[in-house]
Amino acid sequence: MRGLRRLAAVIVLVLLVPVGQGISAPVQEIVFTSNQFTPIDEQEWARGTLLAQFTRETGIQVRFITENEGPYVDRLIAEGKAGRGTIDVTGTLHGIFPVLVTENVIRDVAPIQAQIDGRKDRTFYKDLLAVTKVENVQAFVPWMQATYLMAASKEALKYFPAGRNPMQMTYDDLLEWGENIKQATGQRRIGFPVGPRGLYGRFLHGYVYPSFTGSQVKAFKSAEAVEMWRYLRRLWGVTHPSSFLYEFMSEPLLLGEVWVAWDHTARLIPALRQRPNDFVVLPSPAGPKGRSFLSVVVGLSIPRTAPNPELGARLIEYLTRPATQVMTLQGVAFFPVSPEAATAVPTGGLKVVADGVSAQAGARDARTALLPVGLGGRTGEFVPIYVDAFRLIAVQGQKIEDVLAGQARKLEELYRAQNAPCAPPDPAIRPCKPD
Amino acid sequence: MSAQAPPRAGRDWTPYLLVLPTFAYLGIFFVYPMAQAIWLSLTDPHGQLTLEHFRRMGGDLYFSQAIRYTLLITAVAVPLQVALGLVIALLVNTRFRGHSLFLYVCAVPIGISDLAAGLIWLSIFTERGYLNAFLGAAGLLQQPLTFLTYERPEWLLGAIILTEVWRATAIVMVILLAGLQLIPKDYLETAQVFGAGRWQTARHVLLPLLKPSLQTALIIRTILAFQLFATVITLAGRLVPVLAGESYFWYSLYRSPQVASAYAVLILGLSSVITWVYLRLLRQREVEATA
Repeated sequence: MRGLRRLAAVIVLVLLVPVGQGISAPVQEIVFTSNQFTPIDEQEWARGTLLAQFTRETGIQVRFITENEGPYVDRLIAEGKAGRGTIDVTGTLHGIFPVLVTENVIRDVAPIQAQIDGRKDRTFYKDLLAVTKVENVQAFVPWMQATYLMAASKEALKYFPAGRNPMQMTYDDLLEWGENIKQATGQRRIGFPVGPRGLYGRFLHGYVYPSFTGSQVKAFKSAEAVEMWRYLRRLWGVTHPSSFLYEFMSEPLLLGEVWVAWDHTARLIPALRQRPNDFVVLPSPAGPKGRSFLSVVVGLSIPRTAPNPELGARLIEYLTRPATQVMTLQGVAFFPVSPEAATAVPTGGLKVVADGVSAQAGARDARTALLPVGLGGRTGEFVPIYVDAFRLIAVQGQKIEDVLAGQARKLEELYRAQNAPCAPPDPAIRPCKPD
Repeated sequence: MSAQAPPRAGRDWTPYLLVLPTFAYLGIFFVYPMAQAIWLSLTDPHGQLTLEHFRRMGGDLYFSQAIRYTLLITAVAVPLQVALGLVIALLVNTRFRGHSLFLYVCAVPIGISDLAAGLIWLSIFTERGYLNAFLGAAGLLQQPLTFLTYERPEWLLGAIILTEVWRATAIVMVILLAGLQLIPKDYLETAQVFGAGRWQTARHVLLPLLKPSLQTALIIRTILAFQLFATVITLAGRLVPVLAGESYFWYSLYRSPQVASAYAVLILGLSSVITWVYLRLLRQREVEATA
C-alpha cells in the first residue's frame, strides 16, 4: 500500500512540474492557421524561414497549422460556436472571408489596419483594399496575392504558330500550338490541372468564360458560351489525356509529359526553380472579349475568440512588412500587396514568373475577374458546377446546350438561395442570375 | 446446460470488467461517430428530419457511376485476392525450402499504405513511368504509350484492380495461412492413408475446414473494398468515381458534411448487407455439414 502511495505521489509530481515551469517562465505562443502553404515545401519554408524570423525578433513562438479548406474553415467555425478558441491569427483567400463574417467568426480588423497605416512604412494597392470590406466590416488585411498563368518549355516554342507573339497569345493560338505539336510529335503536350484537387475550375470560370463571353455567370448559357465550349472540346483533343490526374502542373512539366501548362503561380514555380532556363512563363490567352485573368488575394484576420489578439496583431504587422512581402515572393512565389515591396527585383525562375505576371496584368486587353463572394456556406458548390459541365461536355460528349441549361439552373438556384451578387466582370446584380 | 451454469450467488463481474475498455473504445470511436453521421445525413440545419441530403446524393452526376465502379471493382478484385491468397497460402503451407523468405516477400505490401501503393503503381503506369521506360529500352516501343487516359476507362480500371490485388492479397494470404495451420495434421494423414491425392485432400479436407478463415477474409476484403479510396484517386482521379471518394469530395470540396455523411451511411448499409449475406451463406453450410 505504501509503495503504491509513493508511486502516486511521484506521478503527481511529474505531472505538476511542467505546469510549474509554465507558470514561472511564460512562453508566449500564438496559433496561426491557414489553408495556404499546404504543400510540404511551403510549410517547411513558412515554419523555418518566415515565422522563425518573427520569433527571433519578438520572442513569440508561432504554431503554424495548415489544412485543406474544409477542415480549416470547420475549425474556425467550431471555435467561434464554442465561444472559446485557440487560433490567434488566420490567413486565407478573400473568397472565404464572407463565410467567416456570416458565421461571426472574425473581428473587424479596421483598428489593426489603422495601426499599420499609422507606421507609414507601407501602403496597400487600392483595388485590394477595396475587396477587404465584407458587409461593412474590414474582414482582413491584405497579405499576398497570386494569379494563374501559362508556363511552356522552350522546346515547345518552336511549334508556336508562325508569325504570332507568344506574349500576346490568343486562345486560337493555343489550340493551333497544340495541333502543331501533335502533328510534329504525335503527342498531345498541352496540360491542364483537371485532377481532383487541381485548379482547372478556376480556368473555366475565371479565364476562358470571361475571355469568350465577358462574363462568369450572366452569360453562362449564351451563344458565345456555346461557341466557347465547342472551342474547349477541340482544345481537349490536343490536351494530354492524363490531364485528369494532374494537380500541380510543375510535375508533368518537369517530367516532360506536358510542354505547355496553365496553373496557379505557386504550382508552377517548382519547375521554374529547378530549371529556370528551360521554361518560359506566358500570359494567359486572350479571347474575343479580352484577356481575362483571376487575381487571388490572400488576407490575414483575427478570430473573435483569439486568446492573444495583441500578439496576433504583431504577427500581422510583421507579415505585411514590405521586407517580409519580398521574402514571401522569393520563398513561395506569392506576390506583394504593397507597392513598396513590388520594386524588389527577383532573380532566376522567379523573374521568369514575375515577367509573365506583369505581361498578363499589363496587357492592353487585360481584364480582371474576381473570385465569387457572398455565397456563404455554399461557396464550395460554385466551381463544381463548371467542372461538372466540362466533364459532361468534353469527357462524356453530351450536347452543349442541354448541359448548359441544366448547370445554369443550379447556378441560379445557388445565387438565389444565398442572395449573392455577381463577381466582376459581371455587373454587381443581386442575386446574380444566368440570362 | 444447467449443470454448466455458474452459481447464482456472487456473480463474477471480471469478464464484464475485462470487456469494458474495448466496449468504451468502440462506443466512443465507432458507435458515437456513426450515430452522428446518421444524424447528420438525416437532419437539416434546424434539426428537422429530412431526406434532402440523400436526394442530393442520388441526383449527383457522380452517384450512379460511383455505385457502379465500387461494385465492379469489388466484384473483380476480391475474388482475385482470395483465389491468389489461397494459392500462396497453400504453397507456403507445403513448407518448401525457403518458404519463410517467400512468405515475408509476399507479405511486404501489408506494410504499405494504400496511398503509397497507388503512387508506386502510378510511377509504373504514367507516360514517363517505368513500364514505358522498360518497353522503350527493350525496343518494343518507338513512342511512349499513355496507359492512364480518359479514352480508356477499362485500362484505368485494370490498373486499379492490379494495384488492389497487389496490395491486399497479402492480408488474405496471412488470414488463410493462419487458418491452414490450425488444421490438425491427423486429418491430412488420415486422408493420405485412405489414398487421397494432393488435389483431393485440398478439395475435400482442407477447403471445408478452411471455411471460417475464408469467411473472415471475404468479409474483411469486401468491406475494405467498399471503402476503397486512395489508390483510385491516385490512378484515376475522379474519372473512376467510388463511394468513399465521393464522400471525401462532398466533405472537402463542396463543404457539405451532410451529403458526405449520406455517402458514409450508404457505405455502412452496403457493408452490413454483404456481411449478413456472407454470415448467412456460411451458417447454412455448417448446418448441412453437421446434419
